[in-house]
Amino acid sequence: MKRLIVPILAGLVLGGIVHLVGVLILPYLAEKDAYSRLSAIGDVNTVTPIDDPSSEGAVLPASDPAFVSAVCLYDLGDGPLKIRVPTTEDYTSISFYTRYGMPFYAINDRSAGRSVIELDLMNAKQKAALPENDEVTVADRLVVESPSDEGVVLIRGLVRERSAREAIKALVDAAGCDSPS
Amino acid sequence: MRSLLFILTLAIGAAVGLGLTWFTTVKGYGPASIRSGAWEAWPKAGAEDADPYARAALARAGELPLELADGLAFVASTDDAGMPLDGRCDIRLTGSLPQARFWTLTVTDPRGRLIDNPAKRSGFTSPEVVWNRDGTLDLLLGPRARPGNWLPTGARERIVLTLRLYDTPVGLARRTSDAPAMPRLVTERCP
Repeated sequence: MKRLIVPILAGLVLGGIVHLVGVLILPYLAEKDAYSRLSAIGDVNTVTPIDDPSSEGAVLPASDPAFVSAVCLYDLGDGPLKIRVPTTEDYTSISFYTRYGMPFYAINDRSAGRSVIELDLMNAKQKAALPENDEVTVADRLVVESPSDEGVVLIRGLVRERSAREAIKALVDAAGCDSPS
Repeated sequence: MRSLLFILTLAIGAAVGLGLTWFTTVKGYGPASIRSGAWEAWPKAGAEDADPYARAALARAGELPLELADGLAFVASTDDAGMPLDGRCDIRLTGSLPQARFWTLTVTDPRGRLIDNPAKRSGFTSPEVVWNRDGTLDLLLGPRARPGNWLPTGARERIVLTLRLYDTPVGLARRTSDAPAMPRLVTERCP
């Protein structure tokens, strides 16, 4: 009996280590994570509408059925992107996530304060390369710095009442996500 | 004998490690939650400095969290007395809601899927509901249609409610003591 104590204790310690490592690498190993679910429906650097949640489930679990959503999976490898989203009469929001689901920026129609939200999405290097004494940069452009080259832009518009769904869907689908001309 | 003990060590390690990992990521989003009555929310899961448990749980579920700057989701799977929410019963949601520009309330099954019903209603948005005169809310969930604010539950055995607050100051102060007052959930009648 006594000789079992050491293996059991060692096993528990090993279990703790396995657990910690498991939790830390799970976001990188999860096969059906948000990014892979979204890449099944949309291409990189284009806006793709997301189907509304139903009784069969949703493209992204736990998404709010009161919203119309669209997604832009981005890759900044070829340069910065310009995100343009027309705001709806109600709540409109744009959320940014890295490839592994880390949220890093969100903005809504009110904090943007205009009828079309325009954002320049770039990585740290591209941001550093922006001309410095360009006054327009500071005053008129919203620059979002992405910590990674790849990620997800989630565009969502609240549907106040069912009858407004089509109109809001048209606005959300009109969003753009392309390289600035 | 030696190798047998070694294998035992490995087996215990694998079972404990994987078991713990499964257990800690299968429900909720880690330990950093705030509670108010039957409602629970994970404000930090939607922030850049989310803890590893929140990240792991989200990746495993395939979800993207609601960003804290965007809003905050409260989930309830029991009533105030701790009884699991039963869609065959009449459940009343009453009280005031935390400050927010908009909110939405959604009924799902325990796996987060919407529940089909003839009324084609799976939730309410804040502009849609009828408010009481004193600014509080009175809403009934149940299998049979009712006048007023009624949400169909499709007579499912277990339902889950999610209340999402948008553009809200709630959760921005990261202390549990700051949990806002949430509406009460009372199971009224069961068949």
